[in-house]
Amino acid sequence: MPWYLYLALRQLFPAGRRFPFFTAISVLGVALGVGVLIIVTSVMGGFGHEIRRMIVRTEGEIQVKAKGLIEDPAAVLAAIRGAPGVVGASPFVEGPVAALAANRPAFPLLRGIDPVSVGSVAELGRYVRAGSLDELDDDSVILSWQVAEQLGAGLGSSVELYSPLLFERLKQDEVILPRRFRVVGLFEIGHQHLDSSLAFTTLRAAQELYGLGRSVHGINVRLAPGRDEVAALPAVNRVLPPGIEALPWTRKWESFLWVLNLEKTITAFLLLFIVVIAAFSVMSSLLISVVRKTREIGLLGALGASRRGVALCFCAQAFLIGVTGTLLGLAGGFTVLAWRNELVRLIARGLGREETLRQFYHFTDLPAHTLPADLILTVVAAVVISTLAGLLPAWRASRLKPVEALRSE
Amino acid sequence: MSELILEAGAVAKTFGIGPARIPVLRAVDLALAAGESLAIRGESGSGKSTLLHLLAGLDVPDAGWIRWGASAPDPARRSRYLGLVFQSFHLVPELDALGNVLLAARMLGAPDVATRQRAEALLGQVGLAGRARHLPAQLSGGERQRVAVARALINRPRLLLADEPTGNLDEHTGEAVIDLLVGLCAATGTALVLVTHNAAHAARCRSTRTLHEGVLH
Ligand SMILES: Nc1ncnc2c1ncn2[C@@H]1O[C@H](COP(=O)(O)OP(=O)(O)OP(=O)(O)O)[C@@H](O)[C@H]1O
Ligand SMILES: [Mg+2]
Repeated sequence: MPWYLYLALRQLFPAGRRFPFFTAISVLGVALGVGVLIIVTSVMGGFGHEIRRMIVRTEGEIQVKAKGLIEDPAAVLAAIRGAPGVVGASPFVEGPVAALAANRPAFPLLRGIDPVSVGSVAELGRYVRAGSLDELDDDSVILSWQVAEQLGAGLGSSVELYSPLLFERLKQDEVILPRRFRVVGLFEIGHQHLDSSLAFTTLRAAQELYGLGRSVHGINVRLAPGRDEVAALPAVNRVLPPGIEALPWTRKWESFLWVLNLEKTITAFLLLFIVVIAAFSVMSSLLISVVRKTREIGLLGALGASRRGVALCFCAQAFLIGVTGTLLGLAGGFTVLAWRNELVRLIARGLGREETLRQFYHFTDLPAHTLPADLILTVVAAVVISTLAGLLPAWRASRLKPVEALRSE
Repeated sequence: MSELILEAGAVAKTFGIGPARIPVLRAVDLALAAGESLAIRGESGSGKSTLLHLLAGLDVPDAGWIRWGASAPDPARRSRYLGLVFQSFHLVPELDALGNVLLAARMLGAPDVATRQRAEALLGQVGLAGRARHLPAQLSGGERQRVAVARALINRPRLLLADEPTGNLDEHTGEAVIDLLVGLCAATGTALVLVTHNAAHAARCRSTRTLHEGVLH
C-alpha cells in the first residue's frame, strides 16, 4: 500500500481510537444520500416491475400483429408455438364496444380470448375476484370491477353489447340487434389502465360482434420464464409470414413506461443533491484538516513526500469517505427495503390509515425492485462526487511549502 | 580522509523584499565527512533553522552551493539520504510509535518484514520497546522525541540533521536524547549536524561552530 493511502486510512480511522467525529459526520452524509437514492429508485422500480408483471400476466411478453387482420390464425399460431423460447400463444380480438345494463352505459375495451389456449399465455384467473374464468362461454362476459360499477352490474347481471359493426350495417339500412351477455366474473388487475376499461368474452363471441369470421386482431405470446423479450423477438419474427410482425409488450406501453422512467430519473437526480451536499461537507472538513495539519504536511515533505503524494493523501481520504459512506448507505438502504412493509404498516397504523392505504394502492405490500443499472449508477455517482470533493483540499495541501509549514508553530 | 557527506560553500539566504530584506545567511561554508558530528550554535534568530532547511534541501539558497556527497540536494533522494529531527517532534498523531517510525520507510515503498523488525529494533534502541503501539498523545515529550530519532534513522541515512532536538525537553530528558542521537550516529556511521543552545550538548560533537551575522565561525 502506498504511504498516502495508508496515512489517509489511518487519519480517517486511527488505530485504537474511537471513530473520529469528522469522519463519522462525512460518512453519514454520503450514506444518507446513497441510502435514500437506493430506497427511492428501488421502490419506483418496484412499481414499474409490478406493472410489467401485470401486463405480462394479462397479455404475454410479445404481441403478434398484422397490418390489418390475421386471416389464418391457426397456421400463424402453429408457427409461433414452434419458435424457440415460446411456451404459449393465444389469439385475441380487441376493440371498443358500447355496453348497456339497466339503461346505464359504459364503453369498455372488449377483448375476446380463446378459452382453450389463453391459459398458456395469461394468468387471468389470478385476477378474477368474483365468479370464475371457467364459466366464460360465448354468451357471457367478465367485467373489470370499475366497468361493472359504471354499469351497475354484478355477477349474474345481463349486459347488452353494441359493436361498431352495428353502425356499419345501419348505414346499409340493416339493423342487427345488440347481443345479450351474462356477467360471470369480475376482475381487478390492480393497474388503473387495465382496470378502468377492460372486459373479456370468448374469441368466438368477439369475432361475431366484429364480423371477423375466422380472423383475429393479434396473438399474445408468452415466453419461457426468464427469457428476455427483446432477445427472443427475432426468433419469433423469423417464423412469421410477411406482413405479420411480433412486437415486445414495451412497444404498446412505450409512452407510459417513458413517463414512469422520467419520474424515476428526475427523482433520482434531485435526491443526488443529498450526496452533493454531503460532498461539500466532506470538502469543508478536509479543508479544515489541511489547516489543522499544516505542520504534519510540512513534516511529510521533510520525510520525502512529493507534492503529488500529499495531494493523493487528501484525495484518498475523500475517496475512502465516499466508499465507506456508499457501503453504509447500501447496507442501510437495503435494510430499510427488506423491512419496508413492516415500516409502512407501522406508519399507517400510527396514523390510523391502514384501510386508506389498501384502498388506494390495491396492494398492501410496497413493491421494490433494484435495477443493477440504478445500483451501479448510484454507487459510481456517490464515489465520484465524494472524491471530487477532495480535489480542492488536496490542491491546497500540495501547495504548502514544507519549510513554511514546519515554521507555522 | 573519508568520504564527504555534506558540503556547503558561500551559501546565502535573504528573506523579504525591498527595505524589509533580512540577509539571514551571508556566506556559510561547511564540510562534513561520514561519521563526523558537528554542533551549530548561535543566538535565536541567527538563521540556524534556515541553514538546516537549506542543507536538507527543503529550501534553496539564493547563492552558493550545497552538495550531498557527489550530487546536489534532490527532494526525491531526501528520504534515503538524510533524517531530520525537530524541536517539536512532529509526530503524526494518528499513528502509533511504530507507525510513525515506519511512515518514513513507507516513503520508499511498502515496508517488508526486515524493515518492520528494524523499526522495532530501533524503538528498542531508543528505549521504547514496550511502547510501539502507543499513540504520540500517550507518550511524554522525551519519548516522542525518541520516536522521532528512530524515525530519522529507519532508512539508514548518511546524514542526520537535528534542529534543537532538546528544546522542548527538560535537562535530564534532553541529556538522554542527546546520548541516543550521538550514540546511534556514532554506531551507524551517520554524519550528524546538531543545532543546539546547550554548550554541554554541543561538546558531545566532534566540532562546534557558531552562526553569527550570517557566517559560520
Ligand atoms: N519565511 C521567512 N520569511 C521571512 N523571514 C524569515 C523566514 N524564515 C525565517 N525568517 C527570519 O530569518 C531569521 C532566522 O530564522 P531562523 O528560524 O533560521 O533562526 P534560528 O537561528 O533557528 O532561531 P531559533 O534559535 O529561535 O530557532 C529570523 O529573523 C526569521 O524571522
Ligand atoms: Mg530555529
